[in-house]
Amino acid sequence: MHAVMMPQKTGKNYQAQNRPSQGSSSYQTNLSACEVKQKPSDSKENNPMQDDEHADDQDGDVLQIAMEYFEKDPIRSLRSKDKILEKHLITVENVAWKNGLAPETIDILLNVALSGRFGNAVNTRILKCLIPATLISEDSVVKAVSWLCVGKCSGSTKVLFYRWLIAMFDFIDHKEQINLLYGFFFASLQDDVLCPYVCHLLYLLTKKENVKPFRVRKLLDLQAKMGMQPHLQALLSVYKFFVPTLISVSLPVRKKIYFKNSENLWKTALLAVRQRNQGLCPEPRKLMLGPANIRPLKRKWNSHSIIPVLNSSSHTTECGKKEMNLSEYLSSSGSLPLEQLQRFPQLLENIHCLELPSQMGSVLNNSLLLHYINCIRDESVLLRLYHWLSQTLQEECVWYKVNNYENGKEFASFLDTIIRAESFLHEGFYSCEAFLYKSLPLWDGFCCRSQVLQLVSWIPFNNFSEMKPLLFDHLAHLFFTSTIYFKCSIIESLKELLQNWLLWLSKDIHVKPVTDSPLDTSLCESMNSVFKLVHYVGWLSTIGMRLESNSTFLMHFILDFFETACDIYLIYNLPLVVLFPRAIFYSALFTLDASILNQLCYIMHRYHKNLTAAKKNELIQKAKSKLSFSSKTYKEFNCCLTTMVGCLWTSKPFKKGIRFSPETLEKLGVEEHKRSLNLVYHSSLLGYAVSFLLQETPEEKTINLSSIQVLYVQQ
Amino acid sequence: MLVLRPLDKLPGLNTATLLLVGTDDALLQQRADSRLKMDCASELRVHLARSLPLPSNVNRPLVDLLVFVINLHSKYSLQSVEKSLYHVDASFFLGKACFLAAGAGRESHCSVHRNTIMRLAHTYRSPVLFCDLEVEGFRATMAQRLVRMLQICAGHMPSVSA
Repeated sequence: MHAVMMPQKTGKNYQAQNRPSQGSSSYQTNLSACEVKQKPSDSKENNPMQDDEHADDQDGDVLQIAMEYFEKDPIRSLRSKDKILEKHLITVENVAWKNGLAPETIDILLNVALSGRFGNAVNTRILKCLIPATLISEDSVVKAVSWLCVGKCSGSTKVLFYRWLIAMFDFIDHKEQINLLYGFFFASLQDDVLCPYVCHLLYLLTKKENVKPFRVRKLLDLQAKMGMQPHLQALLSVYKFFVPTLISVSLPVRKKIYFKNSENLWKTALLAVRQRNQGLCPEPRKLMLGPANIRPLKRKWNSHSIIPVLNSSSHTTECGKKEMNLSEYLSSSGSLPLEQLQRFPQLLENIHCLELPSQMGSVLNNSLLLHYINCIRDESVLLRLYHWLSQTLQEECVWYKVNNYENGKEFASFLDTIIRAESFLHEGFYSCEAFLYKSLPLWDGFCCRSQVLQLVSWIPFNNFSEMKPLLFDHLAHLFFTSTIYFKCSIIESLKELLQNWLLWLSKDIHVKPVTDSPLDTSLCESMNSVFKLVHYVGWLSTIGMRLESNSTFLMHFILDFFETACDIYLIYNLPLVVLFPRAIFYSALFTLDASILNQLCYIMHRYHKNLTAAKKNELIQKAKSKLSFSSKTYKEFNCCLTTMVGCLWTSKPFKKGIRFSPETLEKLGVEEHKRSLNLVYHSSLLGYAVSFLLQETPEEKTINLSSIQVLYVQQ
Repeated sequence: MLVLRPLDKLPGLNTATLLLVGTDDALLQQRADSRLKMDCASELRVHLARSLPLPSNVNRPLVDLLVFVINLHSKYSLQSVEKSLYHVDASFFLGKACFLAAGAGRESHCSVHRNTIMRLAHTYRSPVLFCDLEVEGFRATMAQRLVRMLQICAGHMPSVSA
């Protein structure tokens, strides 16, 4: 890219009279739009600031003076400039960080920063404080870009300008003209320093018509020269999704984070602007009544939302687009602005001409758009959503980046929104899964607890052995060293995880026809994964029960889990039966709580049904598939069942008799051990037995429990 | 004596002792204070040490749980802990020792990578806990977890050994 040196104009005429540089003449930008009319008097700057606040009035006046200074083209000596310059810069910075700057102000300042009039340090300061009040006008951006051709600003200023452009991309009101500059940006890819930022900008800017074969070739050449860079890959993947036929290079599919975050410098300010745009304007004004805060911007915006506001892309409002597809000509209605989408029938009518917002994150709040995303075939949509999700999660996580500790509540509500979207769509997002893998080792188990555990329950189905070191080992660590309530919560979320996996698997089996060998192995692996999950929970529960000394509260949750696990064969139609560990069985059998005993009996009953159905099916389909159940499961179950019946009904728990000598038994007071293990004498049901007797014979003084006979009903 | 052994003294009645080994005294002091605030059934004692070996002339009780505190922001912390590890008897690593890595939240300040600590913990077969000691909330929950581990190590939980 070669710059054309512009002669310096005197007077108030620094305004752009730019010609495109030679390297970027391939587009037909209407640069007449760049010719700025004489800026009206800076009373305009005052309007947004004019307020009842006295402080603002003063600011407005000072800003006006500052703007006049910047507009003029001073041919003064450097020395006298310094102090005045400093004063005006500070004014501008203060106003920018408090309120944001009006579009015209931004226009002037952009021109100043990029025209190279002042030194590098000043330009950097100006660019860093260019925070819009509401919007940025597209014209200013185009003008600024044209200044880039002149070559008056240094390389680092250019980089900063691109970063600013990327960060403020959503606040630019229209983007058609910027899209027309696509070729110019593309040509800047040559510059090694600018390349990543330009790639990011093009990633945001690319539409289907921008994908041309010569551009693809250029990108591939660059890649050959520089190697497999993530930013080039990102751009290539966007191209691939728009026009897959042009690109034959294979790209990694699941890469989620391509670009370094350019937003850091303006992050807090961006949140402020977003909140302003949501229409909460009166609030910021009130907050300024307090004593002047020098630094902390964070404290002012109490209820900023991490999720951006939904606004439609600019397609609807523009009318002078140069290249229009044939299909767009034919479709009469044009695209529907997304704010108008209120009801489901509207979605159905307009489903062919919806254009998704540029801020994919805003989709999370809108259930209609979630429906739309669910059915859409275009994978780039999901890619963009996951990209935004993973970035935001990483940036906002409270324990991962400790600076964010004060924003604990916002992060929790953000997670709540994600969970709502996941339960609405009934599937988990990959970004959340990756986020959990990265941040769970650092989690303290307390912060945003319910949200994190719910996220765990929405993890998509995966190979258990792969997930174990990433997720389940850390969960086990937390489980063993936590309170009983946390243990219960973990078991509950693991139960929901199991349910989600089973639902997903059973749906999958119905979709694919059950054929022979190739599918059998994948089904085997899936069943293996589920088996290992149940086994893992069994292990956790055994140790958990020991740590909490057989607490009935924990036992409830454990038995809830196994209620889900026992019915896998019959309810979910999956060929798997997993038994619970013996320790759980015995703890539950000799419990002090009748409801636990009840639950245990129910579970045993369901296991019985599942196992008999499995055996029957196996006998019917003579062919022995790989998924038959080992006889070990049956033996184990029979063992448990006989013990249970023996303890509760037939009073014959010890098959081979007892080894204590009669004298020992006498000392223990249990002479008649043969008939003492009975439903009547069970520790949890003793109270009921006694009250039964009291009801029958209230006048008796002594209670003789042996008077309750257990009747055998012949079946 | 040079080497710290787990059973060289008699355990006190209804007491449990925790030894924190690490270089960052101020942080450790804060931790110790937050630990003592936790109510626990048995009497809880917290000792601090910069590094091992401990001076032998001091009269100290039996150590139930040994926690090595490594500050991820300084390589020196890791080195001193590694040196201290030589002075610990092997039977401590049967569940009575653990590593605490502090400062993993600020990744830009970390000069020791998380994986190094995890490999170290894996070599010694001990668990590693991550915590950001600067934040009060995280300190409190970490203190709770350590107290629970200490109770197991001191044998105060029936039917569970270290």
